[in-house]
Amino acid sequence: MSLLKITSLKTWFPTRDGIVKAVNAVDLEIGDKEKLGLIGETGSGKTILGMTIIRLLQPSTKIEGEIWYKGKDLLKLCEEEMRKIRGKKIAMILQNPTTSLNPVLKIGDQIAEAIQLHQGLNKKEAKEKAIEMLEAVRIPSPEKMANEYPHEFSGGMKERAMIAMALACDPSLIIADEPTKGLDVTIKMQIIKLMKEVTARKSMLFITHDLGAAAEICDNIAVMYAGELVEYAKTEDIFKNPMHPYTQGFLNSLPRMGLKPIRGMSPSLIDLPNGCRFHPRCDHAEEICKNRHPEMAEIEKGHHVRCFLYT
Amino acid sequence: MNRNLIAFLKEYRNSMPGLIGLGIMVFFIVPAIFAPCITPYDPHQMYKPLEHPNTNHLLGTNDIGQDILSELIYGSRVSLFIAFFVSIVSAIIGTALGMLSGYFERVGFFIMRIVDAFLAIPRLPLIIVIAAFLRPSIWNLIFIFVLFGWPFTARIIRSEVLSLRNRPYVDAARMLGAHDFYILGRHILPNVVPLIIVQLIIEARHVILAESGLSFLGLGDPTAKSWGMILHYAFEYPTIFISEIWKWWMLPPGLCITFTILSLTFISYSLEELINPRLRGVTRV
Amino acid sequence: MHRITKIISYIALIILILSFNFFLPRVMPGDPLSFLTGNPTMDMPIVLDEEMRAKLLTYYGLDKPLQQQFYDYMLGILHGDLGWSIYFGAPVSEIVIGGLKWTLLLVGTATAIYMALGILLGAISAWNRGGKRDVELLTFVLSISSFPSFFLGMLFIILLGVNLSFFPISGAQTPFAEYSTPFEAAWDTFRHLLLPAMTLVIAHIGGIYLLMRNSMLNVIGEDYILTARAKGLSERYIMHKHAMKNALLPIITMIALRAGFMISGTIFVETVFAYPGVGRLLYDAVTYRDYPLLQGAFLIITLVIITANFVADMTYAHLDPRVKHE
Repeated sequence: MSLLKITSLKTWFPTRDGIVKAVNAVDLEIGDKEKLGLIGETGSGKTILGMTIIRLLQPSTKIEGEIWYKGKDLLKLCEEEMRKIRGKKIAMILQNPTTSLNPVLKIGDQIAEAIQLHQGLNKKEAKEKAIEMLEAVRIPSPEKMANEYPHEFSGGMKERAMIAMALACDPSLIIADEPTKGLDVTIKMQIIKLMKEVTARKSMLFITHDLGAAAEICDNIAVMYAGELVEYAKTEDIFKNPMHPYTQGFLNSLPRMGLKPIRGMSPSLIDLPNGCRFHPRCDHAEEICKNRHPEMAEIEKGHHVRCFLYT
Repeated sequence: MNRNLIAFLKEYRNSMPGLIGLGIMVFFIVPAIFAPCITPYDPHQMYKPLEHPNTNHLLGTNDIGQDILSELIYGSRVSLFIAFFVSIVSAIIGTALGMLSGYFERVGFFIMRIVDAFLAIPRLPLIIVIAAFLRPSIWNLIFIFVLFGWPFTARIIRSEVLSLRNRPYVDAARMLGAHDFYILGRHILPNVVPLIIVQLIIEARHVILAESGLSFLGLGDPTAKSWGMILHYAFEYPTIFISEIWKWWMLPPGLCITFTILSLTFISYSLEELINPRLRGVTRV
Repeated sequence: MHRITKIISYIALIILILSFNFFLPRVMPGDPLSFLTGNPTMDMPIVLDEEMRAKLLTYYGLDKPLQQQFYDYMLGILHGDLGWSIYFGAPVSEIVIGGLKWTLLLVGTATAIYMALGILLGAISAWNRGGKRDVELLTFVLSISSFPSFFLGMLFIILLGVNLSFFPISGAQTPFAEYSTPFEAAWDTFRHLLLPAMTLVIAHIGGIYLLMRNSMLNVIGEDYILTARAKGLSERYIMHKHAMKNALLPIITMIALRAGFMISGTIFVETVFAYPGVGRLLYDAVTYRDYPLLQGAFLIITLVIITANFVADMTYAHLDPRVKHE
């Protein structure tokens, strides 16, 4: 039974230079207590996908498709109804905790306000709960830290605070956008371990370009390129048997695999290549790849690929 | 460089307030330039005083019998000339000193201390006091305004130059052996031009306001009456508020000043929008 | 460390102003004697015989060496001696202090109003950026702020003051009024404040409005606003709790500069409404070429503005939690 089901999602931005097609016909499902990793390079559209789910984009954005959550299509809800879901049922941990925390408000208050709003507690109770949350994310001396401002926190602690904010109202789905970006290796591992613990009974969409982090936490992995999914499989299958040339290239670019980069540059989302979006950079490209757009197909059990090598 | 200019003009065409502002400014500048051809009378010539508007004097006459309409048109010459002359000279001096202080550290330090001093002292009371000590003449006023106008531009140009100085093409030019003044003229100046123009308009706006204010207080040149001076004499006339005469003696110069300021405000607002994209998106046509 | 340098520069500034005041009449073309004694017009030099002239020179200390004059002058300032007003026939310091209280009342009232209004309108405009409300507000505020304050004042007098007896058209209080209760006095003062204050507010609101709008627009673009939205907080709550505080920070320093403009702008408004503040005194001094009064009024006005700047400078550090912790 899936908690979140995304059908044919399109997110397009009209700009002066053309239409930026950030998300193109994406289908995705996240089950109860499932952790899904969304892998891709910068500019693949993965952050936009996350923001589309929680509808944090500008009103001028063109969004098509359906996002089913507990029997409701999120895209059809009005802003008021959506606000009741944000933070409470679906929470998003935004990128870059340094700029995502309000510098003039205390950390404790920033956590407590969501609690006050969604759970109807009064100020005092909400503050206590916020301190509990800080404790849950392993921040030392939580009572003291709750009264501090963001600039007092280190990078890793800020990330923990963001996690605490997301968990505060006990949502059933967490969208985490690059939670390990820019952190030291040791801190990274701590954050990953923490996230594994605190999201044990929740679903999570784990957006990252760090395959290692995804491998630790996620049950399944979806690979995104130029606004669409190109591969989807169980975590171990992606590593054991990466099918799409892009996924293979991605794995090869990891430090422990030799740091081999994928040739070429990521495509402009305004001027997408014809046919398969990856063909200009693909070593296996054929004639058909330049002209026809491949569809997502289930090649092995639970393993989907969008590539003419297999279809 | 030309391409940028054309693109810029195209953008400007899309900005509603910019166009309105420009239109109003043209409306005032044209009569100012052609004043001798279109004014009905010599503004200094005296006729029957305190006449109501009639076919001979469209805006009536003032308390010593001068035709108000002619005063008004010649007044536009004075007000606009002072405003633009001052802003252009301030812009030149301010840009020159701003570029020098942004580019050369030590010179910059001294110039900036002077700029800081100027900026810290409240401008208007100082201008009033100095003007009161000097003879009331156009050139004295211009001198004072320029003296206190250039620091604003200098500071803004300097910060821009500070950031431009570290751009890669400047380093590249230096490595090729170009000497400093060449770099300043060829690489830095063109990038600073939009800023200069915006500052020029803003300064012109300040000057019109300040000059009409000073003239209103009585510090203007009585032989070359600006709009502010006309208002000064109107205000001094004892029954100005009670009789009808304010309608054609006080209202027209006041409105002229207001609309000129309005046009400069709109123009500078559009220019700033064009330069700083973050403020965009409000006044697209 | 930073604080001390700031204080020193302010003191240096004050000394600069005082010196300027000292040198101005001695440097200007013309007879310094006429500047110190006051002279209806500079075109007609005082016709004095040599004896009279020598007596006056001694009286004003103009025959002493420059350093001595400067020292005496500074000492005089510290004792509150600003010279003698020809027009009023009284010590300048008395007259100026008397006028100061009215000016502060007017400027204080107007500042409170236009700050609150400007900040509110700026925030609303920014929040509705590009929308109908924003464009309307923008056009309206930009347009009315193009009216020079003295012209606006005159219009108010004609349109409101002359026709409606509720608005008096001059002075700070009704002349020769006898008040039976302090409330009556306050009410009368209030009525006299209305038009001048309104004029000041309208003439100056444009500046703060635009500053607030810009500042707010910058804040709205920040990531933490997105975070607040992601938590499901309402737009209104976000604007008040998250955006305002951040948007107001840079405004605080601006307030001081704005106060400076307003005090300067008061010169015109007081003149038009014959409101007995220091601005009006400056005008009188200019009209009657009463140089001692002119310099005294100038000094007080400038010092008040600099003090306002100083206060704002010091409070800014206090308000920003990031700066506080340095």
